[in-house]
Amino acid sequence: MNKSMPQLTYLEAIRQGIWEEMERDTSVFLLGEDIGSYGGAFKVTSGMLEKFGEDRVIDTPISESAIVGAAVGAALMGMRPVAEMQFMDFVSCGLDQIVNMAAKIHYRWGAAVPIVVRGPSGAGVHGGPFHSQSNEMWFVHVPGLKVVAPATAYDAKGLIKASIRDNNPVIFYEHKYLYRRTREEVPDEDFIVPLGKAAVRRKGTDIAVITYGAMVWTALEAAELLAGEGISLEVVDLRTLLPYDEQCILASARKCSKVILLHEDTRVGGLGGELAAVIAEKAFEDLDGPIVRVTAPDTPVPFSPPLEEYFLPNVQKIADAARQLAAY
Amino acid sequence: MTSAPDTQTLERMLYYLKLTREAETRIEQVLYRQGKIVGGVYVGRGQEAIGVGSAIQLLDGDVVLPSHRDFSSFLIRGFSLREIFCNWMARSNGPTRGRDNTLHIGNLKLGVIPIISHLGDTCPVACGVGVVLKQRKNGNVALVHFGEGTTSRGDVHEAMNMAAVMKLPVVFICNNNAYAYSTPTDKQYAVKDLAVRGAAYGMPGVKVDGNDVMAVHSTVEKAIRRARSGSGPGFIECKTFRMTGHSAHDAAEYVPEKLFAQWKKKDPIARLEKVLLAGKILDRKQIDHLDGEIRKQVDDAVAYAEASPFPKGADAREGVYCDDECWWRSAPRSE
Amino acid sequence: MPTNVVMPQMGESVAEGTIVKWLKRPGDRVERDEPLFEITTDKVDAEIPSPAAGVLAKILAAENETVAVNTVVAVINGEMPAEAAEPAPESTPTPAPSVETTAQAPPTPAAVEAPPVPAKAPAEPIQPGAKLRSSPLVRRIAREHNVDLSRVKGTGLGGRISKKDILKFLERRTPAMAETPAARPSVPSKPAAAYGQTVTFSGPTHVTAMTPQRRLIAEHMMASKKTSAHVTTVFEADMTNIVQTRERMAAEFDRSQGLKLTYTPFIARAAVEAIKQFPIFNSSVEGTNIIYKQAINLGIAVALETGLIVPVIKRAEEKDFPGMARAVQDLASRARSKQLNVEEVQEGTFTLTNPGVFGSLFGTPIIHQPQVAILGVGVIEKRPVIRNDAIAIRSMAYLMLTFDHRIIDGAVADQFMAFLKNQLETWQEPVI
Repeated sequence: MNKSMPQLTYLEAIRQGIWEEMERDTSVFLLGEDIGSYGGAFKVTSGMLEKFGEDRVIDTPISESAIVGAAVGAALMGMRPVAEMQFMDFVSCGLDQIVNMAAKIHYRWGAAVPIVVRGPSGAGVHGGPFHSQSNEMWFVHVPGLKVVAPATAYDAKGLIKASIRDNNPVIFYEHKYLYRRTREEVPDEDFIVPLGKAAVRRKGTDIAVITYGAMVWTALEAAELLAGEGISLEVVDLRTLLPYDEQCILASARKCSKVILLHEDTRVGGLGGELAAVIAEKAFEDLDGPIVRVTAPDTPVPFSPPLEEYFLPNVQKIADAARQLAAY
Repeated sequence: MTSAPDTQTLERMLYYLKLTREAETRIEQVLYRQGKIVGGVYVGRGQEAIGVGSAIQLLDGDVVLPSHRDFSSFLIRGFSLREIFCNWMARSNGPTRGRDNTLHIGNLKLGVIPIISHLGDTCPVACGVGVVLKQRKNGNVALVHFGEGTTSRGDVHEAMNMAAVMKLPVVFICNNNAYAYSTPTDKQYAVKDLAVRGAAYGMPGVKVDGNDVMAVHSTVEKAIRRARSGSGPGFIECKTFRMTGHSAHDAAEYVPEKLFAQWKKKDPIARLEKVLLAGKILDRKQIDHLDGEIRKQVDDAVAYAEASPFPKGADAREGVYCDDECWWRSAPRSE
Repeated sequence: MPTNVVMPQMGESVAEGTIVKWLKRPGDRVERDEPLFEITTDKVDAEIPSPAAGVLAKILAAENETVAVNTVVAVINGEMPAEAAEPAPESTPTPAPSVETTAQAPPTPAAVEAPPVPAKAPAEPIQPGAKLRSSPLVRRIAREHNVDLSRVKGTGLGGRISKKDILKFLERRTPAMAETPAARPSVPSKPAAAYGQTVTFSGPTHVTAMTPQRRLIAEHMMASKKTSAHVTTVFEADMTNIVQTRERMAAEFDRSQGLKLTYTPFIARAAVEAIKQFPIFNSSVEGTNIIYKQAINLGIAVALETGLIVPVIKRAEEKDFPGMARAVQDLASRARSKQLNVEEVQEGTFTLTNPGVFGSLFGTPIIHQPQVAILGVGVIEKRPVIRNDAIAIRSMAYLMLTFDHRIIDGAVADQFMAFLKNQLETWQEPVI
C-alpha cells in the first residue's frame, strides 16, 4: 500500500535530515553564524534552537577558522559537530583548519574527526564573485577529506545523514540554486544515501554526460532536447566528488564510448580534468571520440546577468557540444 | 594567595624538569648530531618550568594541547619515554607510526592533542574541547600552549574571542621565550606585555616568571580554578628565554651572547633544586641519584627506539580514512 | 512607451513571490519609486516601488496569485519614453557565446575561443589505399569480427568510421564470413537474420530442386551414417587461459604476424597433439583393416552461404602455432571467395568443425568419410563453475567428438578427449 510521501524542497530535505540526526544521536550538534534564533541565512536550521536548545545549536562569532577548529576539538572529544559556513565562499577563511588539522589527524595519529562542514555554493542567482563560487576542488585535492554534492532533494537528505554518520571530515556542498527550485517526494523516515556512489539519472547510449550539483538538471534538460534529434544522452550524477564512483563512471564511458564532463566550476583544475584522465587511462580502448569538457570559463563568477549567463554552462552549450561529439 | 605545592608535587616537578632536560639534550646534542634523528628538532631548553608547572596539576578528563617546547607535558600525561623516542626516530611503533615527527603526537585517552606545524591552529581546537567540557559539567579544563610569535596569527585571536564570549574553560598559556626563530619580540608585537591581550578579549591576563616553576604552578592554578568553576578562560604570559636556537640546525647567532649568560643564571632546574635543598626536602646525594636514574631511563628509551623497526614504504597508503577496517587498530605499538 | 513591472527576486534562492495587494488600480497615475504593490516570499514581505512614472495600464497578476521571479505582473504606460524602459532582468542572450568545449579534432591544440568547426572537408568517399580513420575501439571490433575496415562506410567526422558505423555493418553482414565464435558478447550480432529465407507459396506446397552441391552433401551425409557406427562423446573445457592468452596477445600477434588471432589455431594445435597420442584417430577403415595415416591432414569445416566446405591443412603436425594460424586463415578466406584448389579439399584425415560460431552449445557432427572421427567445439561463453569448492566465472566450451565405434571404443575416445581438454585448459605454448 503506497502512502503518498510529502514533497520537500532540497532545502527542506537537508533540514529534515539534520533534524533526524540530531534526534537520533545526542552527540550531533550544530555551530555556525546566525544559525540559532535566526534559523540560518537560508533558514536551513530554522526551528532547531527551539527544539534542541542552545547547547546543541551554537551561534558563533564571525570566525570561520575558529568554527572549524572548534568542530575538530569537539569531534576529538567524541562529538559529531556540523559546522555551517554561511556561504561556502567563506570556507577559505577556515581552509587551514580543514586541510591541515581535520584532514590529517587520522592519518597522523589515528584519531577520528567526524565533522561535517556544510554550506550553500554555486551560481545562477546573481550573487557575484563571493556568493557564487564552486570551490569543491580545493578539498577534492586533499587526502583525508570526503566531498559531497547532492543534486536532488532525496539525495540531499540521504547524503547529509550519511555524512553526519561518517567518521571522516566531510565537506558538504548544497547548491543554493536548487534550495527552493527542486522538490520531490522524500520519505519521512530514516534512510541514507551512501557516500561514494554515483547515480545514473537517465539511461542513454550515445554520450555519457557526467556531472553533479545543479548541472545535473541542466544536463537532463539537454538530454530531453537531444532525444528529439536522435541523440541519446546518459546522465550520471556523481553525488560524491571524493571519493568518486570510478566504477560507475567507467561503465557509462565504456557503454556510450563518448563522454562529456560537465561542471559549473571553472575549467582548469576542475573535476572534469581528473575524470578525463581516469577515463583515458582505463577506458581508452572503449572510446570512440575525444573526451569533452563543458565548464565555466576561468574567471571569477561575475555579477551582471549577461556576464553570469555567459559564464554558466546551459542547455544550449551542452547540446552544441553533444551534437558535435555525436557527429565525430 | 595560593598555597605552595606540597613536597610530593615539588619532588615530582623536579623529576620532570630533569627528565625533560636530559631527554631533550640527548635528542638535540647527541642523537641529532649522530644522524640518528632526521628532519627538524625543536627543544624547550630553559623553558621546562612552563610545561611542568601547568601539566602537573591536570586531572583525569582534562585536556592539554602542548606546544613543541612542552616535552614535559607529554611525559606528565603518561606518554612513555620509549614511545616519544620511537617517534623522534621515525619508527613504525611510535604514536604516529612514522607519519609525523617531533612532538606531533596525540592520545585522546591521555588527554593530549598535538600541534600541527601551523602554530596557533590548536587554539580554536582548544575552544571546541572547551565547549564539550563545559557541557559535560565535570569541571574539566583545557590548557593550550603557544609561543609569543604564534600570538600574531589570526587563529589565536579568533579562539580567545570565542573562548571569552562563550565562557569556555580554556587556559591560554603563552610561552614568551623572547625569540620567534630570529624575530625578537619588538618586531613581533607593539605592546610591552602580551598579558594585556587578555583584557582586550574579556578575560583575565597575567604575566609570570616562566623560569620559576612554583610561580608558574600557582599562576596556572588560579586560572584553572576559575575555569573549573565556570567563570571562563584566562591568558597567562610566561616570561622565559629560549636557551637554544629555534631548532637544532639554528645556531642563534642573532641572539646577543649576554642574554644567554643572563638567563642561564635563572635556570629553572637550578632554582627548584635550591628550594628543595634549602627546605631539606632532598639532599645532594638524593639529587645525584635522581640524575643517575634519569640518565638510565633515557638510555633505555634510546636503545629501545634504535632497536625498533622502520615502517614499510607501502604502509604510507594506509589509514587515510577512518573506516570499519581501521588500519590504526592493527600493527604493533611501542610500550 | 510601456514599461513592464516584474516580480523581483528577494533573496538568492527565492524562485517565486505572491502578490498580496495592489496599491494602485488600472488607470491610476503612479510616480517613479512610488509604492505600487506588496508581495510575500519565503524569506520576506516587501513593498515594491514602481519602476517608472506613468499610468498603470494593466495588471497581469492578481492579488494572492503566485508567480515566478521575473514574471511581468503589470504594465505602465509612460509619458516619457526616455529611460522608462528599464530592461527586465531576463536579458536576451547575446548571440552564440563561444562554447567552452573541446570537441575539436585532435590535431588542433587548445582551441578554446572559437566554436569548434571541423577543419576538414565533410565525409569523402573511401578511396582504396586512403588512411582509414577510426578509434582503437572500432579497430578492435573489426578485428574480432574479421572485418576489413575498407569495406565499412564511415559517417563520422571527416569520413571516420565510428562505432555506430561498424555495428551497423556487422548487423547487415552475413554470418558465414565469421570463422570463429564471437568472444565478446557485448557486441550485438544478429547472424540468424541472414539465413532467413523467403518462400512464396502459390499453393499448399512449393517445390525447389536441390542444387548439385546440396545433392552431394545429402548423399555424403547418408553414406557416412550408413558406414560408420556414430557415437558422440561430450566434454567441457575451461577455455579461460586461452581466452586470456588471446586477449593478451591479439595485438602483438596482429603486429608481428599480420594475422588476426582466433581460437581455431589453439584448437587445431591441441587436436594435433591429441592425435599424436592416439593415432587411431588418424586412420580409416578398409574392409577389416585399419589403415593408420602418417600425415595429419586436418580438415577445417567452413560454413558458406550455399553450404559447407572442408579445406584441409596438409601435414598439420609440422606446423607451429603461427603456421597453423596462417594456414587456417588462408584456407578459410579462399574457401569463402571460392578460390580453393581441388587438392585442398581432399585427403583429410581428421576434421575440426565449429558449431559454436552460431551459438550452439554442442552438436553431434557426422563423420567426414573415410575418416573415423570429427571434433566439434561449441560456443565459448562465461559460465559459473565450481573451483576449489567456490563458484567461479570461467569461459567454458563444450567439445564434442563423434567417433566411429567400429574401431574406437568409448574409453579410448574419452581418453583422447581428456587429453585434448587438458591441452586446452593448461595451454602453455607461446603463440609467437
